[in-house]
Amino acid sequence: MSLTHLNQRGEAHMVDVADKPESRREATASGYIRMKPETLELLSEGGLPKGDVLATARIAGIQAAKRTHELIPLCHALLLSKVTVDFHLDKVNSCVDVVATCRLNGRTGVEMEALTAVSVACLTLYDMCKAVDKDMEIGAIHLDAKRGGKSGDYQRQGAPAAAPIVTGEGASGQVSVGSRCGIDSHCVRVKFLAELREQLGVADLTLPLDSLPSTDVGGLKSALVKRDPRFARLTEGRVLCAVNQVMALDPTPITNDDEVAFFPPVTGG
Amino acid sequence: MIRVQEASFDAGHEQQQLLAGRSDIGAVVSFTGLVRDFNERPDITALTLEHYPGMTEAALGEIVTEAEARWSLQGVRVIHRVGRLVPGDPIVLVVVASAHRRAAFEACDFIMDHLKTRAPFWKKEHSITGDYWVAERESDHRDASRWESENDEIP
Repeated sequence: MSLTHLNQRGEAHMVDVADKPESRREATASGYIRMKPETLELLSEGGLPKGDVLATARIAGIQAAKRTHELIPLCHALLLSKVTVDFHLDKVNSCVDVVATCRLNGRTGVEMEALTAVSVACLTLYDMCKAVDKDMEIGAIHLDAKRGGKSGDYQRQGAPAAAPIVTGEGASGQVSVGSRCGIDSHCVRVKFLAELREQLGVADLTLPLDSLPSTDVGGLKSALVKRDPRFARLTEGRVLCAVNQVMALDPTPITNDDEVAFFPPVTGG
Repeated sequence: MIRVQEASFDAGHEQQQLLAGRSDIGAVVSFTGLVRDFNERPDITALTLEHYPGMTEAALGEIVTEAEARWSLQGVRVIHRVGRLVPGDPIVLVVVASAHRRAAFEACDFIMDHLKTRAPFWKKEHSITGDYWVAERESDHRDASRWESENDEIP
């Protein structure tokens, strides 16, 4: 492993890519800007003094990706074939998640372009909202994935979980408070789907059956809330539940190895 | 036949397959749902459909079984797409064949009404002003509940 932008004398130089074959390159980067809940509310309603914040930040991110070579000294100028910048308003963590993807058929990777797009989109969001909120914080700008090229594909390990939340698996970056289920112990497998999964920041976990105050859906909810107060969301508003893929209610009994799913009202068709 | 798939479908082809080699069918009703470019917000650029594999197929199967118990049907085909779709894309197909038109019309309507309130699909819409999960609609529940009463008139 060596730094490609340093030559044998340790001087910075631009890598000659003339002899590299062209291939399809793609990179995705993401980050967030955290703000006050009131600011996020204004942003989502379009009530900010500078107008349509997200549309402006999207254009800014795309423009920035195209001009990365003017900002980063040893970057090549690239003919990008695609740049997308997407936003997700996360009301639970009071932040805007920014995701950028760049693509081209060429000789160099596009991760710097994707990272620049995210950075400038975040800066533009700051600029557009700073009249009402100066405490905003930009963070976690990182490469999520890149495809193509000599160095091969890269996928960042660990889902981009916005904030740690309890899981039974203890993946990196997450707090594990649930005891993992052994082969011998009785367990219940819990899934969170769609918007609920995004709000809670967890997709699935397992719980020992004997940690439930009562072996039914209501008991499972109580056990989850005891582990992390965020699970109180399960008892608020319309949250549906299925045990072994059949619709269930609080008194529905749970037995060993059952699959219990919590999800919002359905919206297909 | 029930299918949940990412790929698109051809409504005409599906209907032909349902009817192939049959001469006992007197009526066929086909409904195709499409992605609109406006919903809760204008300027929708795409939507992502998530589902609960396993339960989705079971729920759709149950709805079709109920329709078959209620009307005399000669064949039913339900296809629902998942994944990322853009405006204009077909999203759901219900084809119902029967001996007479009334049963086919009503059963197709019944299946769609229940699919919208019982099958575990969730839409996330991507619009120019950001992404959001679609909220359930009271009108969908009213549509589904009208099949419960003796009076099936649309209010």
